[in-house]
Amino acid sequence: MTQVNRIKGGLIDRAQTLNFQFNGTQMQGHAGDTLASALMANGQTLVGRSFKYHRPRGIFTAGSEEPNALVQLRSGAHQEPNTRATVAELFDGLTATSQNHRGSLKHDLMAVTDLMSPFLSAGFYYKTFMWPKAFWEKLYEPAIRMSAGLGRLSMLEDPDTYDKGYLHCDLLVIGAGPAGIMAALAAGRSGARVIIADEDFTPGGRLNAETLELDGMAGQAWAAQAMAELASMSNVRIMSRTTVYGAYDHGTYGALERCTDHLASADGKPRQILWRIYSKRAVLTAGATERPIAFGNNDRPGIMLAGAVRTYVNRYGVTPGQRVAVFTNNDDGYRTAADLVAKGVTVTAIIDTRNQAAAMDIPGVRHMRGLGVMDTKGRHQLKSITLTDGQMIDCDALAVSGGWNPNVHLTCHQRGRPTWNDDLHAFVPGPNLPAGMSVAGAANGALTLAAAMTEGRDAALAQLSDLGLNTSAIDLPRAEDEARDGVAVWHIPQSKKRAWLDLQNDVTVKDIKQSHREGFRSVEHMKRYTTLGMATDQGKTANIPALAIMAECTGKTIPETGTTIFRPPYTPVPIGALGGRARGHEFRPTRLTPSHEWATKNGATFVEVGNWMRAQWFARPGEKGWRDSVDREVLATRGSVGICDVTTLGKIDVQGRDAAAFLNKVYANGFAKLAVGRVRYGIMLREDGICYDDGTTARMGENHFVMTTTTANAVLVFRRMEFARQCLFPDMDVHLISTTDAWAQFAVAGPNARKLLEKVVDADSQDMSNEGFPFMACGEVTVCGGTPARLFRISFSGELAYEIAVPARYGNSMMGVLMEAGREFNATPYGTEALGVMRIEKGHAAGNELDGRITAHNLGMGRMVSQAKDCIGNTLSKRPDMNREDAVKLVGFRPVDPSIPLIAGAHLLNKGDEANMANDQGWLSSVAYSPSLKHSIALGFIKSGDTRMGEIVRAVSPVHDKEMEVEIVSAHFIDPEGSRLRV
Amino acid sequence: MSDLTLTSAPPLAGFDRRFGDTVLKAPKDLAIVSIALPLGDEAKAENAIKAAFGIALPAIGTSGETKDKSSAIMRLANDQAFVLFPCPTPDAERQVAAKLNGAAYTTDQTDAWCALELSGPLARPALERICMVDLHPDAFTVNAIARTVMEHMGAIIARTGEDTYLLLSASSSAKSFAHAVELSLKNVS
Repeated sequence: MTQVNRIKGGLIDRAQTLNFQFNGTQMQGHAGDTLASALMANGQTLVGRSFKYHRPRGIFTAGSEEPNALVQLRSGAHQEPNTRATVAELFDGLTATSQNHRGSLKHDLMAVTDLMSPFLSAGFYYKTFMWPKAFWEKLYEPAIRMSAGLGRLSMLEDPDTYDKGYLHCDLLVIGAGPAGIMAALAAGRSGARVIIADEDFTPGGRLNAETLELDGMAGQAWAAQAMAELASMSNVRIMSRTTVYGAYDHGTYGALERCTDHLASADGKPRQILWRIYSKRAVLTAGATERPIAFGNNDRPGIMLAGAVRTYVNRYGVTPGQRVAVFTNNDDGYRTAADLVAKGVTVTAIIDTRNQAAAMDIPGVRHMRGLGVMDTKGRHQLKSITLTDGQMIDCDALAVSGGWNPNVHLTCHQRGRPTWNDDLHAFVPGPNLPAGMSVAGAANGALTLAAAMTEGRDAALAQLSDLGLNTSAIDLPRAEDEARDGVAVWHIPQSKKRAWLDLQNDVTVKDIKQSHREGFRSVEHMKRYTTLGMATDQGKTANIPALAIMAECTGKTIPETGTTIFRPPYTPVPIGALGGRARGHEFRPTRLTPSHEWATKNGATFVEVGNWMRAQWFARPGEKGWRDSVDREVLATRGSVGICDVTTLGKIDVQGRDAAAFLNKVYANGFAKLAVGRVRYGIMLREDGICYDDGTTARMGENHFVMTTTTANAVLVFRRMEFARQCLFPDMDVHLISTTDAWAQFAVAGPNARKLLEKVVDADSQDMSNEGFPFMACGEVTVCGGTPARLFRISFSGELAYEIAVPARYGNSMMGVLMEAGREFNATPYGTEALGVMRIEKGHAAGNELDGRITAHNLGMGRMVSQAKDCIGNTLSKRPDMNREDAVKLVGFRPVDPSIPLIAGAHLLNKGDEANMANDQGWLSSVAYSPSLKHSIALGFIKSGDTRMGEIVRAVSPVHDKEMEVEIVSAHFIDPEGSRLRV
Repeated sequence: MSDLTLTSAPPLAGFDRRFGDTVLKAPKDLAIVSIALPLGDEAKAENAIKAAFGIALPAIGTSGETKDKSSAIMRLANDQAFVLFPCPTPDAERQVAAKLNGAAYTTDQTDAWCALELSGPLARPALERICMVDLHPDAFTVNAIARTVMEHMGAIIARTGEDTYLLLSASSSAKSFAHAVELSLKNVS
């Protein structure tokens, strides 16, 4: 195709010709074009089909507010649907396809939908597809989704990468139009740290799109010069191709920078960056959006906003047609006609709704006053328009100007409401702006050039003064205020044909009236019933005219009718950008145990525990499944010796003169009298008396304790203790620091544990005999010839067991050393599954039991809550209902038929009782197959469990549709006397 | 005496990446010992610190280097500081404790942290991607330190030179942390 609509001038680089494809057709454009301007240059007026009625659609705007010209950009896995051609920068090799049609774009088979439009008005699917109910999911919804909708996803993984980042500034300037540039110049020259962001790839806003002059220079030249000055300032950061999409708390803004969307390939760099900008102050200079006037068949390709036509003519050197008409209710529309004529394009008429003299004398252009456009013709491109007096005018493009709406969106992101301005017939920013934000220029209703620049400068300097920063006086360039008078004309009531308000969601004037008739009087209800403003353009061109129609229906004013709430994002943000780097393996950080490398080499299967990767079991050749491995690990440990990396348990170093007294406060049981060199098990209560963590604490010195917590609660316990230290007991001399990662800690358990460790612990550092280092002893030792280590004689498995800790750098090596030392005992590494089985066999509570509802009384540890001292949770743990005799108690359960596996989570019922909540007796919290006992066992809670030993009850799992008889037994399935621990 | 021997293998040992003139590497044998100031005896502790290291305890949020540049002290909180110095053996805490002679509480933190030194013209642009602290040279001056979070990982950042930063994060997630910093460098290089 040739560039039939390319005209002289513009900011494009004609020396650089770029080849691109649209629907398989080769076309050419130039550097500086958008896809929309290049399509227009090539005479491609028809670019897509509408959402609901499959109406032919063209290009409507020249910016991010575009509701019509949505395309699928790129191909394969890079394909992105619903891309606005008006902001897609042209690059060599670009491919785009139109969307939402079956068959070719020109001959869409689904266009038949348009003929059925009388039956498809607002809410039709709510009413039509009610019966039969079962048809909705299987038939109606898929059919509707197939016929309506936007572009298609590639269904392939997004091959692009994304990043995010954090920026800080004194002043954030949002929008680099005349007001924004002036604000940035004022602040930049004053020395403030400034960020100026603009969604366009060429900053300048309407200075690039108009023929306005500043200081006698072309507006775009002045803008380029000003941006060059800003670029030379080290205190100013210019962010083009960056949309500030949301205003958040405390001066924080979200911004999306499109880094490589304008390039053929991202070349391994992030495609987009999601920035969080921390600003001390912000000036919103986001400009204004032109609004259309609704009239019959106002959606045909070739009908555009008048300001957009100026942009195409002046910035891109392209005309939307060869015979253009202008329809306006204000003075601004005349400038479109003037700019077209200046470029040699024929303007067939200016139709002004006002019955008054022409706002501008444009030789050779027919001025038709007091009229409106009532209807249009031309299926794939506009051919003619019919006026309210019946005249028909031939034209292939129509520029429509209904006045301008300030872009107040970001002022509303924290529920601020805009206020109505009768002079502008538009909403302007209200009084409740986000903290630190001020608004200037067209966004503030200063729609003319000189006024916008004055506001931009003054707003920036006022913000700096407010911050107490220096301000430098800055002269304004000479500029004029354009004529902009207009009247409020929202639609042409004489039109009998469908008149579109929301072009993207196919909502018409008739739909708004119908929703009102059907009782949807609130703006919010109207929006949801008609879907007006709910498409990806968020109704930027549709909302205000729709409100006006709504106001007409209700007989209220527009401000009385109200607005819907603007929420972030201002323009669409890809999910990929929100996800950023956090995908795949890097979705979140991974914590590795010190022996991770050893475990990997030795066949470990890993399980995620929080962020930790823990060895779950170590499979050996010939084992048919995880149970084989786990059973072997348990039996080998109980039979000889097993080794498990338990580094993940939280470790907190507690020091200070009041450390012991402090532990007395945070533990329910007493620690003050714990002897140096001894370890004690403790439970911690929340303020409400619920038990939330347990563990052991070792007294390494008079004022030095080492606490262990559960893996899951390591951070929570530290945080609560830090709160207690700083806020509850600030007079105590106590200091906390996490040492979880500092020490690699290994459980060495089983009857040969001592013999193994005697080979590792330096004999001169510790007497390892039972008398020299008894159960619950602890001490500083050395291993392997002098490496400092800590040794604790504690047992989670119920066997003779130790935990030995070495500085983490030696962890991987230590695992190998322990295995080497244990070779003669057939030492076995075991993972978290075997660890879990052994603790259930021993009757130790863990996370399954401490589920946020359980008290010490429930655990059978009520007497551990010392009455001789106070502790966090003590008072509320005494509430009578928490100490009922019939409270659930932790006990063990075994199946009456040993061949039946128990089910964790099964509820307990007395024999003969119906399975309902009223008869609920308790539940099974932890279940395991015990290789020692050769049947399934469980820990669980049952009412008065401690007095019901030997009773048979039912374990019922409605989820599995199973039930079984279980016997209540002691929770200590293995060595209930604890004799193995003490040998 | 056991004939078994242990080998030291810190998680980022030998880590060294270059992006043009910007270098990201793990300092060798960097020991970290925390110092806690006893409540009510802070002055005594501060005197002991000055006597031990020859410099006063820095203000909160800053670090100070000993005159011979052999050690640095980071003041993290009212009652907490870290001493950093090269020490290949696992006895750093004992060395510091001996110098302070009971005037403050000490805990070995060497193995709790991984450290990365990021130096060069890309340092600040790379950190912009993961560090929410304002690192503008005027806002985060040489010797400034801050506790923060990078990519969900707790971290300490210290500006040790004009374009040089020392980053500390948990040693268990060292590989994720190094990946985060390295990816930032790749993205800005």
